[in-house]
Amino acid sequence: MTAASFVWKNIARNRRRTLLTVLSIGLSLFLLSTLMTVLTELRRESPEGDQHLRLVVRRASSLGDPLPEAYLDKLRRVPGVRLVHTLSWFGGIYVDERTFFANFACDPETLFPMWNENHIPPEQLAAFKKERTAAVAGRKLAERFKWRLGDTITLKGTIYPLDLDFTLRGIYTGLDETAFFFHHAYLEEALERPGKVGTFWLKAATAADVPRIAERVDAMFKNSDAETKTETERAFQLGFVAMLGNIKTLIASISSVVVFTILLVTANTMAMAIRERAREIAVLKTLGFGRGRILGLLMGESAVIALAGGILGTGGARLFYSVVDVWKHTKGFFPIFIVEPSTILLGLGLALAIGLASAALPAYRVSQQTIAQALRRTG
Amino acid sequence: MAVPLAYNFRNLRVRAFSTVMTVLSVGLVVAVFIGVMALARGLEEALVTTGEPLNVVVLRQGSQVETSSAVRREALQVIQYLPGVATDAAGTPLTSPEVIVLLNLPKRADGQGANVLVRGLRAKGLALRPQVRLVQGRPFRQGLREVIVGRPVAERFQNAGLGGTLRFGRSQWKVVGVFEAGRTAFGSEVWTDAGELADDFDRADYSSVLLRAENTAALRAIVQRIESDQRLHLKAQAEPEYYAEQTKTAGPIKILGSFMAVLMAIGASFAVMNTMYAAVARRSREIGVLRVLGFRPGSILLSFLVESVLLALVGGLVGCLLALPIHGLTTGTMNFRTFSEIAFAFRITPDLLLRGLGFSLVMGALGGFLPARLASRQPMVETLREE
Repeated sequence: MTAASFVWKNIARNRRRTLLTVLSIGLSLFLLSTLMTVLTELRRESPEGDQHLRLVVRRASSLGDPLPEAYLDKLRRVPGVRLVHTLSWFGGIYVDERTFFANFACDPETLFPMWNENHIPPEQLAAFKKERTAAVAGRKLAERFKWRLGDTITLKGTIYPLDLDFTLRGIYTGLDETAFFFHHAYLEEALERPGKVGTFWLKAATAADVPRIAERVDAMFKNSDAETKTETERAFQLGFVAMLGNIKTLIASISSVVVFTILLVTANTMAMAIRERAREIAVLKTLGFGRGRILGLLMGESAVIALAGGILGTGGARLFYSVVDVWKHTKGFFPIFIVEPSTILLGLGLALAIGLASAALPAYRVSQQTIAQALRRTG
Repeated sequence: MAVPLAYNFRNLRVRAFSTVMTVLSVGLVVAVFIGVMALARGLEEALVTTGEPLNVVVLRQGSQVETSSAVRREALQVIQYLPGVATDAAGTPLTSPEVIVLLNLPKRADGQGANVLVRGLRAKGLALRPQVRLVQGRPFRQGLREVIVGRPVAERFQNAGLGGTLRFGRSQWKVVGVFEAGRTAFGSEVWTDAGELADDFDRADYSSVLLRAENTAALRAIVQRIESDQRLHLKAQAEPEYYAEQTKTAGPIKILGSFMAVLMAIGASFAVMNTMYAAVARRSREIGVLRVLGFRPGSILLSFLVESVLLALVGGLVGCLLALPIHGLTTGTMNFRTFSEIAFAFRITPDLLLRGLGFSLVMGALGGFLPARLASRQPMVETLREE
């Protein structure tokens, strides 16, 4: 009998207990994967495209206040700037609050060159550019409301005192397929031309230009009526996450509690299993098995159980979140929610460590017992 | 006849290791549940306690919050002379036209920016909010670019303490006072003179108007008058209602809390089940003896179920104790409606603790039922014959 088959026999001995333990660990690891994915998604970087070249210019005082449209020409002339794009949060509501999604007024000419990780068929792009009331939507967004090209979509303004009607002319694909874009000129016209822009987006020619551009732009508008704050797209995103509060601490503390719970459950199972087998272990010793060997067999058993739970939990989470539309259920909060392979690996590593740790104490105690002590004890 | 409770207590003590492990697993689940719910509760309470029952908030039609609202100056003339608006001792109507600006200020903790709501108002605005009390310094004076700040703002943001200087708009603003606003959302705001704030941010319109109604009947009439006046394009709402709507911000936290609690609870009830199955297995002879003594299978089932529930309840108590220290801890998050930071404290209320205990009871019952049923169905004679 090999060591592996010995471990397996023991695992299969009390199937109900093994199953319950695996399920319990699995649920905890499912939860842990979810929490870790929340952190990953809040800090997700775009793997393709020019994210590292993009900068956001906004009003220094607050994001709530707009910038003058006239800044556009000045920004275009800043050395190292390849592209300037305007983007204003419209914050309109479709049907009612529960169906909220992100919607922006933008410059249709520069939208796709700026976010070159997003793709749209050329004929749809041409149609979008041509018509003032045209709009484009992400694939996921269009699917959610079963929109087809040519549909009329009305957004009720919350920040602006007006409702706007749009005709859907394009559906784009990319990493985040949940936003809605329309012509800035259409909004300006409806508002009787206030000449305001929420944010300007810049694309630098090279990564080396990025810090220089940020300094230059902010210096340019220093002491003007509308001072600017320019930062990289990444810093801008992380700034938003920081505003949500101390999510990292919250998730870290919950996660550590979850890990500790798994440890308790596994340790309890192993302790019960080992106690029941005290006499058998004594027999093994009589047969000449060393302490280290016995310890190894017991820890192996516990590691297999914990790993099984780990595979169930992390794999289950991966599968679950690929089927469930998290974007819809979190009211647009998480446009993307993917349990990454790195998260799965981390989860499995944790499960393995917990498995080994939880068998250590009871297994050590039993391996230290003398044969006579163990044989005398009654189960 | 029921099996005495003392039997269950003794059994829990005999299997000390398993009991402690199981109690702790249940306890941790309850602690997480209470902790997350206390977070949501604190946030909700900060918003719910903010409104005064007779105050009315007037906003632009279609806007949901003051930060995105605008009320024309002409409209104020109409609003303040509506019948039913309360007056002060001098006989002038108690209406407060206010200017709201969102500011991005760096936090003390990490230098990261967060949005803070700046409210421009006049003396009547202060009079309409009796829950706000100056605890340090003095009120702001007109024409000097002075501000007063809520205590959480003073504590959480750079240069926002008494004597500090905030730079926004076109000026430097001196912090001359710190106010206490109970647990309300006003504590997360910066207050200054309405005219100066409007000047610095080129605001021609007010953001909102707050007014006091004479009584509840007058309040309803005023709301109706404002909403039905087509020229105004305004909407009116009782102040408590306005803030209650914002409690939706706590929704995602509650969903997260329930989701985690349910998952962890199922996991923990499996752990309880394991422990109880082991208990039944080890005590099969005892069960046989109990049966011989005349206890019915129903009594055995009940006895094991009670033992399991006891185990979980102790866990629930431990969980409550573990969660208690977070009560009163202050934290902040973004209010998604106003887009500004709101500071609040974790709040553990007795009913939350009771819910935690109830939760542990359910875990105990779920985990204990199957093992208890197994115990009650064991054949009497064979169990006694076992070694």
